[in-house]
Amino acid sequence: MSRRSRQILLTLAWHALRGLVHFSASRRRAAFAREMRLALQVLGPAFVKLGQVVSVRPDVFGPELVFEFEKLQDQVASLPASEIRSVIEAEFGMAPEVLFASFEDTPLASASIAQVHRATLARSYRPVVGAVLPAGTNLAVKVVRPGGEEAILADIATARPIAARLARIKRFARYNLEGLLDEFASTLCSECDLRREARVADRFAFDFRDDALMVVPRVVWPCTSRRVLTTEFVEGWRLSELGEPLARGIDARRLAEHGAQVFLRQVLEIGRFHADLHPANIFVTPEGRICYLDFGITGTTSPSQRIAIAQVLAATVYGDADRALRYSAELGLVVPAAREAVVRMKVGALMAQTLATAPRDIRGFAVGFLRVLDDERVEVPVGYGLLVKALVTVEGVARALYPEIDITEVAGPYATRMVAQWTFQPAVIAKRLPQAFSAALRELAG
Amino acid sequence: MPSNDQFIRLLAAWALVHETADEGWKAAIERGVVQAPGEMGAGPEAFVNGLSALVADEKERLKASLSAAGSGPAQDGSDLGVHLDELRFEVAELRGQIESMQASLDALLRRSEG
Repeated sequence: MSRRSRQILLTLAWHALRGLVHFSASRRRAAFAREMRLALQVLGPAFVKLGQVVSVRPDVFGPELVFEFEKLQDQVASLPASEIRSVIEAEFGMAPEVLFASFEDTPLASASIAQVHRATLARSYRPVVGAVLPAGTNLAVKVVRPGGEEAILADIATARPIAARLARIKRFARYNLEGLLDEFASTLCSECDLRREARVADRFAFDFRDDALMVVPRVVWPCTSRRVLTTEFVEGWRLSELGEPLARGIDARRLAEHGAQVFLRQVLEIGRFHADLHPANIFVTPEGRICYLDFGITGTTSPSQRIAIAQVLAATVYGDADRALRYSAELGLVVPAAREAVVRMKVGALMAQTLATAPRDIRGFAVGFLRVLDDERVEVPVGYGLLVKALVTVEGVARALYPEIDITEVAGPYATRMVAQWTFQPAVIAKRLPQAFSAALRELAG
Repeated sequence: MPSNDQFIRLLAAWALVHETADEGWKAAIERGVVQAPGEMGAGPEAFVNGLSALVADEKERLKASLSAAGSGPAQDGSDLGVHLDELRFEVAELRGQIESMQASLDALLRRSEG
């Protein structure tokens, strides 16, 4: 066993033991999740990224791990500017000062896969969406770190035998850790091709072209390649640094409500949603607009899924467990008949506990709901889990802007409107009319 | 009473029903518009009021879009506009990707020349 393998195994074992010392099951699960997060931070960028993958898989892992791993921050020491410059030179055959009007050596941010530098546009450019960007526009240049991908893959290769060993233990077998490592490696490869992210960013900019309160940085394609992504630079504050914009009198409530509506529009109308929303990926601009960044993880919803999601949302907001579970089945969440009554009873009790009175606790409901499904061994479809988690994140983001917000007040009417629009479609009415007519006749005859 | 009067009375009854329903509808909208967020879930009446306000809001939107479509060149102008926008986006998206490929190609040529 190599030195690194030993280090990985010992770190995981030590933190796992620390997390298992509580008697109460709920405390033990929370402590175990916290210790595992600390272990991943100690083990470095590869494991932090792996933890981030776990945090978007509530279909595989328990809610405690999923929501705890959300806190993992992918931050590493920055690389010397010379190494970043050499990547730009290799990709475009010219120095950054020739490609751009100016290029700053001090990075704006540094993560395990890429590093971001500021630059200015050399010539005016017409982006895929929106007005022409004039020469001199501030830019954000994201550059893949040389060797970053290889270093992470090397660590993953070291972790593979450990995962295989853990898979032999019954408790860990259901997590399919080796499968997770494979999926992680393939996600990593696609994440390192920044053209994919650029295409998604353009699509989001197009989807929200009519929304005056939304900003998506536009891509400068002639300065974009597999390892370099250049977008316009958007001034703003992260959600964790909101003291200044709030002091400037930005209407936080309006912005928080709009943020929630923007997400609902993505899921229920457009059919494409940002599935990695966390405070580092959202900015508030000086004009009081919301800016989305980083389009690495996105989800999609089909038209039939959209209406089922609207039904589930409306049923959840109005505390109707039976209806929520019925429409969840259309999204692939199949509760075996033998456990249906128990699940319905537990979900109903959870709704009464978390959603019946204001302020409603969406996060508490989601964690509890996923826990019920896990306890009752109900398989959660990938998209369903991602959506539940995304909704919780949206609530967190909205609360970071305006702590008193209750997003069910936004989601309820929105979902009701979607359901009403769908119900009154001519095709749906035509399908339901004969049933309604015979029901009315039966009523009259009785 | 002559049959003509009965017919007029029937129409009057229909107009009265319509007027009463219309007043009820307008009152429900008024109550729905002033509802506080979340109040819609307070009970059946609150739900109907809230729904009436939502429907009235949608009706205004529909009215605006119909009048905009009516002033355009074709009856289905808004649909055509959406398709045109989509198509323009797809063309622009392709242009972007070609620009990126061109930049990579230029870099390779520069390297081979250098």
